Amino acid sequence: MSGNGTTGGPGSRIFDLIVPKRSFFSWLDSLRGRFSLVGPVTEDGQTEFRELGSSHEMDMEYQSTMLSPGKVYLYKPREDLFRFSLGKSVEVREPETDQEQRVIIGLHACDTNAVRYLDLTFLGSFRDPQYAARRKNTVIISLNCARSGENCFCASAGAGPFLEGNDGYDMLLTDLGEDYLVELKSGRALELFPVDGGSPAGEDAFRFKQEKEQAVVHSFRKKLDMDGLNGLLSKRPDHPVWRATAEDRCLSCTNCVMVCPTCFCYDVIDEISMDLKSVRRYRQWDACQDAHFAEVHGGNFRARRTARLRQFTTHKLDQTHQYGVFGTVGCGRGITWCPTGIDITDIAKEVQKSEVGSER
Amino acid sequence: MRYATSRIEESQEHAPGSFNPLKPMKAVLTDVRDENSDVKTYRLKVGDGFSRSAAAGQFNMLGYPGIGEAPISFSGIGEDGEIEHTIRAVGMATRFIERMRKGSEMLIRGPYGRGWPLGAAKGKDLLLVAGGVGLAPIRPVIRQIMKNRADFGEVTLLIGSRNDEGLIFTNEYSAWQKAMSVEITVDELVTKKPWNYRVGLITALLNRVKMKAENAVAFICGPELMMRFICRALLLKGAAAGSLSVSLERRMRCGIAQCGHCQHVGFFVCRDGPVFPYKQVEGLFDGLL
Ligand SMILES: Cc1cc2nc3c(=O)[nH]c(=O)nc-3n(C[C@H](O)[C@H](O)[C@H](O)COP(=O)(O)OP(=O)(O)OC[C@H]3O[C@@H](n4cnc5c(N)ncnc54)[C@H](O)[C@@H]3O)c2cc1C
Ligand code: SF4
Repeated sequence: MSGNGTTGGPGSRIFDLIVPKRSFFSWLDSLRGRFSLVGPVTEDGQTEFRELGSSHEMDMEYQSTMLSPGKVYLYKPREDLFRFSLGKSVEVREPETDQEQRVIIGLHACDTNAVRYLDLTFLGSFRDPQYAARRKNTVIISLNCARSGENCFCASAGAGPFLEGNDGYDMLLTDLGEDYLVELKSGRALELFPVDGGSPAGEDAFRFKQEKEQAVVHSFRKKLDMDGLNGLLSKRPDHPVWRATAEDRCLSCTNCVMVCPTCFCYDVIDEISMDLKSVRRYRQWDACQDAHFAEVHGGNFRARRTARLRQFTTHKLDQTHQYGVFGTVGCGRGITWCPTGIDITDIAKEVQKSEVGSER
Repeated sequence: MRYATSRIEESQEHAPGSFNPLKPMKAVLTDVRDENSDVKTYRLKVGDGFSRSAAAGQFNMLGYPGIGEAPISFSGIGEDGEIEHTIRAVGMATRFIERMRKGSEMLIRGPYGRGWPLGAAKGKDLLLVAGGVGLAPIRPVIRQIMKNRADFGEVTLLIGSRNDEGLIFTNEYSAWQKAMSVEITVDELVTKKPWNYRVGLITALLNRVKMKAENAVAFICGPELMMRFICRALLLKGAAAGSLSVSLERRMRCGIAQCGHCQHVGFFVCRDGPVFPYKQVEGLFDGLL
């Protein structure tokens, strides 16, 4: 799936290196001081992206995390927007943008694509200053997946398991056993990584990469035929599957939204100080699965759980006219963390099934 | 490749002091007028930083620290840096605004969204239909027509309200009538004041419209169900689906296509609307059109 002819990185193959893992990690550690390092750490069977004391803490074979690195480190769960002081006249103060220089290591293809998706929201028609600053100050080192998880369907979504394209991230790693195939994808990666830190990767390295990718692609247990899905789900808003799934099983707990790496919605909240002299305005993640999300004075456009689950699901598996891409990257988190096991790919398959039936 | 993105280039850095789209600006209330018991029209002087290129049908986020912000359409766009908003007090932000007096400071950001396609209406007959406070976003259109009356053919304005007490801009009707035909109806009469107009649903007024639906352009703003009935009736009368525009109302936090609250089957109402061609939003789920 990757073979689009540009696998060789920007320009020439000199940017693709075979690097012994040991040297790669010691290069990473050498960045500390200038950068804070963030990577996947596994504790008690659960992996999360966190700040590293040393690259030794990393688990580069991790399967998945509950929260995606993009949403923890670029689009934060909660973010201060302004401080107002309420004197005779209101003063508005903007917080400084986050200038912390960070390297995030080990984003899988799905999560890298999710960052590209968040770019569409926060660097689109209107640029969010905090997100833009973090994006600028964050070096992203992505990692191709060595195996597929139970709920992963990135191969169906076209978002993995190997990362395609050269934009929006800095380096790409493929595990070759003792070594990494390191593909340098940005100017700053070229600046940061010593080109003599490895040997130039040849044809065979890429052939091996492709074979590995094929092996992973064939290992997927969860699949969804996404061709023709766009437009299909929204054409069937009254399909019984919406109601049956939502009213019987959805708790409106919003877990699916919170763990989704592409969900971008937020609420804006004003907090008044005890002395009534200043106000903190902040935003925090919000969820279309929440009962009040689409409420207005005198009504609620999605008062029923059916409507909310349908909004969430079609936003992932339909509605591509919004950004020109599907809203899902197939990471499977929404399925994994739903307390009642609701699976949006099952919902889609139900609708597809009856569509085939109705064509007969 | 499905996921393409822009490169994160130097230019994307947010230099200190450069444009932050969520940052509100100060505005000063220069006049407050009662329209009825819960609707007032506020005249605001905005600072130099505020865009002078607002269009009829666009809106601002209006508010005050600690109270929050509410999306409010322009009800007047002056050339003198003064703008008007006509607001019904229904909740937290709007009730706070209701208590503000001349000279008070408010915070504002905008203008946002797409307005009425007035350019496309030039040379054509124009039907304006407004229900309740839905007349507020139509008022700048009325004013433009009055200023450039020769640009348009027949113009008819239909105004509907729950009752005669709820009508707004009542002292302007006679001026408007010089430029267009104005038909008014209320569901019921509650004041004892003399009433020279009609009683009944706004859809019934459509029968009194003289222009030919096929040649007309219609701008409709009001409760979504009302807009649905008006649009369907106009289509039955032969109006072209592409000639009908409606203004939608959704919950909004940001106004800049980020917070997601106003999403309507893939549209951001704040950016892709609030004015939409009817055919774009007709029959979409989670809506009443
Ligand atoms: C594009 C647009 C233009 C509008 N123009 C006008 C106008 O010209 N005049 C007017 O009187 N009203 C207008 N409204 C409706 C107005 O925005 C709401 O009445 C107002 O947001 C209610 O806020 P509140 O805090 O007073 O009410 P609350 O009921 O306390 O609202 C709580 C929160 O819910 C949200 N909310 C509630 N109702 C609405 C709603 N109807 N629309 C959007 N968000 C809502 C708001 O974010 C608000 O902060 C417009 C709405 C939209 C979307
Ligand atoms: S996680 Fe499951 S139960 Fe909770 S809101 Fe999402 S679909 Fe509903």
